[in-house]
Amino acid sequence: MPTATPSRGFAVRAWLRANTGPLIVVGLLALLPFAVALIDGQPLAEVLANQPGQAKFIQGLMIEVFILAIFALSYDLIFGITGLLSFGHAMFFAVGAYLSGIMIKSFGWSLAPTLGLLAVVAVVQALLFSVVLPRVQGVTFALVTLGIAEVFHIVIQSRELVGYTGADVGLQGVIPPAFLSPAAQRLRFYFVALGLAVLVYLLCRRFVDSPTGRVCIATRENENRALMLGYNTFYFKLTAMIISSLLASLAGFLHMLYQPIVSPGIASLSYTVNALLMVLVGGMGTLSGAPIGAAILRLLTFYFDKWFGQSSGFILGMVYVALVLFLPYGIVGTWKLRRFAWRSGWARLAQPLRPPSRDGERL
Amino acid sequence: MTVTRVTFPSKTMDNGIILETHKLRREFGALVAVADVSIAVRAQTLHSIIGPNGAGKTTFFNLLSGNITPTSGRVLFKGRDITHLPVHRTAHLGIGRSFQITNLFPNLTVLENVRLASQALGHDSFHFLRSHRSFTRYEARAREVIEMVGLTARALAPARTLPHGDQRKLELAMILAPDPEVLLLDEPTAGMAAEQVPELISLIQRVQAGGQKTVMLVEHNMNVVMRVSDMITVMHQGEVLAEGTPDEIAANEAVQNAYLGGGVWRPVANGGK
Ligand SMILES: Nc1ncnc2c1ncn2[C@@H]1O[C@H](COP(=O)(O)OP(=O)(O)O)[C@@H](O)[C@H]1O
Ligand SMILES: [Mg+2]
Repeated sequence: MPTATPSRGFAVRAWLRANTGPLIVVGLLALLPFAVALIDGQPLAEVLANQPGQAKFIQGLMIEVFILAIFALSYDLIFGITGLLSFGHAMFFAVGAYLSGIMIKSFGWSLAPTLGLLAVVAVVQALLFSVVLPRVQGVTFALVTLGIAEVFHIVIQSRELVGYTGADVGLQGVIPPAFLSPAAQRLRFYFVALGLAVLVYLLCRRFVDSPTGRVCIATRENENRALMLGYNTFYFKLTAMIISSLLASLAGFLHMLYQPIVSPGIASLSYTVNALLMVLVGGMGTLSGAPIGAAILRLLTFYFDKWFGQSSGFILGMVYVALVLFLPYGIVGTWKLRRFAWRSGWARLAQPLRPPSRDGERL
Repeated sequence: MTVTRVTFPSKTMDNGIILETHKLRREFGALVAVADVSIAVRAQTLHSIIGPNGAGKTTFFNLLSGNITPTSGRVLFKGRDITHLPVHRTAHLGIGRSFQITNLFPNLTVLENVRLASQALGHDSFHFLRSHRSFTRYEARAREVIEMVGLTARALAPARTLPHGDQRKLELAMILAPDPEVLLLDEPTAGMAAEQVPELISLIQRVQAGGQKTVMLVEHNMNVVMRVSDMITVMHQGEVLAEGTPDEIAANEAVQNAYLGGGVWRPVANGGK
């Protein structure tokens, strides 16, 4: 099975063909604000000028989806890909939001140094979470990470830090830079958030396809065997944690820019559960499931609140139970399995018609 | 009970000893699974360990490969003490280990299982922004080994979908991929259909002789063991009952009584089946 070195043009075409689905989705998302305006009868010039209206509102909702998508992707990297069950993931997000907000508001830092500091802190907190990894696994790891995150959750709510964190009210009064103002520059913010979500998705895909990512998958599948082959699995888990922490902090940073108030709730266990839900609903370990899970979580929450008011939480719970029952591998996971079964069915049907292949590369 | 032991004069690589143990012992509670076993394995030979179930063969392998730590005793590889080396380090020394119980990455393809095995000892595992496909030598090596064990037709099937015999072949491919100097094979033919056994055994022999490798083999089929081994160690209840060439073992009374069921072992006409 010798493969000729593919030319650049060939590689690009192959990439486009392999990513048709995501590309169409991104294209549609880029058109969405304008499509909404058209349906709503709002002139497109008003959308470009960030005038209030349905288009601006939908952009806001979708910005939240994009931020959650980055958060969910970061969780899929450690949970779905590497097999680490962390119950402290909300802290990665909250550190991104709080640290950057405090640096900008209380210390007057500009964006670049804030992001630089955030990157350093994200790496440090990943190390903090990982020091226990050689000793504890599975549920114990989940509980240790939950413990660390809960300490952080309590600290940001403490009265002593009220001047910085706003304690239980939350962090408010951060002035985002004018060029990225979520109100005055909503459309720009929309495209920045969309662009970053796409970038993070591609980055995660690249990681999973890399030699390091392959070992992370092997660690999830059978850590003992990975060790036996000669991989020091700790360093691979650590790498996944660091990348995950960086991405979750980025999501938290965008959340801080977008939201007028950063509530301490984003550091709580329920926010980690959100990440877990998004990944499970989308399909763990699939990466493309994470943004789908994010869209479902945010949009269902929003529209159920609107339609059902008080009982929305109950109905939402029912929907999640149904999704888990009927799509046990999540939306993308189940779809991939079905498609695989479907394809191999056709392959079996077509088999007798084909001349027997020598190298048997059929399946 | 007489213990026949071949004693080796020295303990260094100069005398051709690649792997040796000194009074290696492992207890599980009150049970002594491996009881002060001292053996020396000559480089580039095929050295078999035989003994009834529960004799301690797998535990002995686990001690050699670093999967479990001994209660006492030492393991030397080329004269170097590797007793307390963590398990992921022994592979880098050139010691490969296969498992009696199938131990694969079940949801990954055959190719990916073997490719991961061949990537393990390279120094490219910490590239995380390049596709693994751009490191072609690991995949090329994986395909080569898959061809050797005869799994080419199943290369893209998930490992869990393979029949048991093919999983054993995959297990062998994974240990061959990084091209180790010493291969510890724990019942590589366990549960395989009888007609597939000679094929696999002759592959092991080819790899051993062709690559000048040292193979330690745990195998229950006495015909196979007698035919392929340069040296045989017989274990019984954690202890070494006897050690010697196949002829010496076949003639050893203690082994006859304890293990070969009292009767004198004779080669079967169709040896190896
Ligand atoms: N992890 C363990 N915990 C307790 N006992 C064990 C363990 N592993 C093996 N043993 C015991 O040690 C003895 C030797 O087992 P093993 O090495 O698997 O023998 P063999 O491979 O020769 O069949 C058996 O009695 C077995 O029950
Ligand atoms: Mg055994």
